[in-house]
Amino acid sequence: MTGVELFSAGAEGCRAVRIVYKKKVWHLSAADVIKAPNGELPTCWEDTPHQPTWDMPHAFQAPHAAIAVNSAMGSFAQSTPDAVVQDMMAGLDAAHSAASNATKAEPGKKRFGIKRDINPPGTPKSATPSADSGIRKPDFPNAGECVSANGRRFVARPMVEPGFHLCATLPEFQSLWLSRLLPEGKRPTASSIQVAESALMASVFLQPEFRASNGNAFVIFARRDAFFFAGYKNGEPVLWLKCPSAGGTDAMRATVMKTLGVDESLVDSILNESLIDPRPAIEPFARPIFAQLELSLAYLATKHSLKLDKAFLMGMGPGASYLSAYAEESLKLKLVSPDTFNGLVIDKGVKVADSPSYLVALGAAIAGAEVSA
Amino acid sequence: MKASSVHLNLLKPGELRSSSPIRLRVMLPIGAILACAGLLLWWGMLFTQLLMTKAQAQGIAGDIAAKEKEHAEAIQQRDLARELKLQLEQLDYYKAGVRSVGDDLSKLAEVVPLRVQLKELHFSPPKAQILQPPGAKIPLFGPTENVETQKLVIAGLTTKETPVVSLMESLETGFEGLITRERKINSFKQDAAEAEGRKLLSFEIEYTMPERRFAK
Repeated sequence: MTGVELFSAGAEGCRAVRIVYKKKVWHLSAADVIKAPNGELPTCWEDTPHQPTWDMPHAFQAPHAAIAVNSAMGSFAQSTPDAVVQDMMAGLDAAHSAASNATKAEPGKKRFGIKRDINPPGTPKSATPSADSGIRKPDFPNAGECVSANGRRFVARPMVEPGFHLCATLPEFQSLWLSRLLPEGKRPTASSIQVAESALMASVFLQPEFRASNGNAFVIFARRDAFFFAGYKNGEPVLWLKCPSAGGTDAMRATVMKTLGVDESLVDSILNESLIDPRPAIEPFARPIFAQLELSLAYLATKHSLKLDKAFLMGMGPGASYLSAYAEESLKLKLVSPDTFNGLVIDKGVKVADSPSYLVALGAAIAGAEVSA
Repeated sequence: MKASSVHLNLLKPGELRSSSPIRLRVMLPIGAILACAGLLLWWGMLFTQLLMTKAQAQGIAGDIAAKEKEHAEAIQQRDLARELKLQLEQLDYYKAGVRSVGDDLSKLAEVVPLRVQLKELHFSPPKAQILQPPGAKIPLFGPTENVETQKLVIAGLTTKETPVVSLMESLETGFEGLITRERKINSFKQDAAEAEGRKLLSFEIEYTMPERRFAK
């Protein structure tokens, strides 16, 4: 299985990995930055006729490929069935929807509340035609089933928390564009299209420490634009959250540059080495992240009886050690930052430099291969 | 633990493509076209075969009609031949049934005694033949029975009984072709005619003639 991340912000080319299952062990047989497809991800239907085809290098010509895409028009979130259905209806005529929603609204009732008494968790909701509006409510998709509604594609999977689902969406034209990107009759062909954040969740499944903890873990995924929190219980997703009030690693680097007054070329060395202590610059940035981390850990402990003494920090790269030390001091929490490719047997000749940047591609491959840990 | 629990795939099953160089999307229409062409060829062969069969059937029907005509003619000829054969057979029967009595009748004059005058000599008529039975299209030929028996009636005058007896005795030998020994005296009585001053006696003797067989 080949995993590839498309249209990563500020990155040249595409990060791609190829994993192979040999003798009951997963191998990393290729990892590289490959040439991006000749074209931009369409932003409207009119762009879709400009459909390029993309030939991958020989090392990545696995039978199938899982594509993880960074799209501003896509989304990946923990949501309720009502919210998903509302989202599916969002493309309908606005005035009509507003009117019908106003007539349907009942005082004291949550618009996006969990209706446990009506719909058991994980059960697809049947469409109920609205008598007053005449608009047919879209069906809530079955677990893992991809459905199209109002120009968007939706796929949802239930979480451990009853009434909550992980839901990924992408505009229909982008999905079509991506599905046709890899040509037929040549290896690889697309077997999975995922939103990049969705691929992140699967990237830890082969981590030995994750497996050692029986899939009970809390993971912080660091990306250039944001930090994401993921909670797992027995390997099943229990929490997915984008950290509010904090930027990503780019914002952290910018803070370091601004606070310490250094050039961008020096940021990596400052974050990796200890000649200059960057903690005064990092701590204000990390504070909201750790505040949210504390809340999330408390939530997992009280709601799901998951008392964790450590958390994973994935995709961080430079600066991970400072965040770990700060977490240890402030939260008494061990923040481990394993290598992205831990748990994989790395074949000869495979370069694994800058491994955190391959997190999404690896996650896409692991999810696409539906790896069992 | 399965990564499938977090696999949110936005690719629809219908959009999955095959990496095989033999593309189903290409091969299916080609296969369909080939199948259609095959069907058309088969249909053409069937149609040609049908036309040939029809032509053959028409030929056979013509042959049958011609042969029926010939068959009818043959049957007619066979019937005619059978009829002619029957006629020939009948003629053969008649040929076998020819009775030659000329010699015997000529010898009869020699054995008639002096005192006997034969007044009448006739054969009893044969049984009437149904030459045209009701409903029959063609007349029957020949007698209705294979054996025909006739009588020879000899009638005459005599002066006394003795010459008649002598005549009957004379006829007992040498006339086997004309009469049998079976005879019946139908009458022997005095006649109104006279000769030499004496009343004459009339007699009538009926002899059974030998059977006339119409057989080969």
